[in-house]
Amino acid sequence: MLAACGAAQAADDAVVVTALRHPVSKSYDRMVAGMELFEQRRHLAPGAALRFKLLPRKRETAMEGVELEIAANSVGIALEVAPDRTFALERNDAALKEKAKVVPNRKAGTMTWRADVRTPGLPPDTRRLGDLRLECEVGMKAGLISDYPPSFFGWLDKLLPQGPSYCHRAEPRYLFFADRPIFSVTLVDGPRREVLSVDRLYAGASRDAKWKKGLRYCDCEALIDRAYFVPLGDASWPDDTRVELEYM
Amino acid sequence: MRSLFFILLLLGGCTLLQPPPQPAEKPLGPGEIVSAPAAEDVLSIGSSTKADVRAALGQAVVVDFSSGHEVWVYRERAPEKPVEPPAPRAELVLLFSPSGILSKTRVR
Repeated sequence: MLAACGAAQAADDAVVVTALRHPVSKSYDRMVAGMELFEQRRHLAPGAALRFKLLPRKRETAMEGVELEIAANSVGIALEVAPDRTFALERNDAALKEKAKVVPNRKAGTMTWRADVRTPGLPPDTRRLGDLRLECEVGMKAGLISDYPPSFFGWLDKLLPQGPSYCHRAEPRYLFFADRPIFSVTLVDGPRREVLSVDRLYAGASRDAKWKKGLRYCDCEALIDRAYFVPLGDASWPDDTRVELEYM
Repeated sequence: MRSLFFILLLLGGCTLLQPPPQPAEKPLGPGEIVSAPAAEDVLSIGSSTKADVRAALGQAVVVDFSSGHEVWVYRERAPEKPVEPPAPRAELVLLFSPSGILSKTRVR
């Protein structure tokens, strides 16, 4: 559909034919690699399915009516985007062979992407640590995360050179986004509870008085009041640890 | 003359016997408080304004959002002598609604 109404683009995205001059797009084969990693590592979240999620990167980004397709020279597969902006991806050999891209009808820099792994049946406002661990690994493998410039917030890591092993660090700066603005995040494992420091919320803005200067470089720009880190690599917290979110 | 000499000698001896003066306590820096629970006790959810809180606790580390919400952060002053392993400083986190009224607090 998108492929039918545009002109071929410049060299590096010559395989993508789209109505937008500079669409935000992701490598299909990297996303498939993320799906394969999900299957290998699904013991982290045995009851969950993998979806991907589109998120606004700018406050003015309209998320209604987002259309999405796997696009290559001879491939154009429309993907169904759910009302919660998630979508599932399937393996297609022709698309892999043609180095397809996953392309929404939005310009580059207007949206960001995350893996979405949710164990069903959790209490409201609760995530599960194993689900988040798997989201991070798949997200890093699939290349979903935008890089941060070295100066951003002065302390966020450069993510692009990192693979899924980045998620095994005790304190990875992998940003998760809650559904609404958050006030507090608490880890709960049986009787053990730990309220996360405010430095793990809002992309660490409380650590840096100049955080607003770097905000436009972060894919959290429109979601900073929903952003949080968790200690993914801290093995003392099991995968079944509940991550309780208290909203503003 | 001799009496005066002895009085001065006595006073000097008293001065020598006094304990050395305590160094003045370092003033609190921006976003620093002495005790997070005590600071929380002086606040009132639903009625304290930003001005009230600033007057009571001093300047905070402020994270303000485009929604109009603001998160204010205070941390207990770090100990003068570093301890090993370093203990996390207790923090008091405040949420102001867009109207400027304190709506939530937490101590960690």
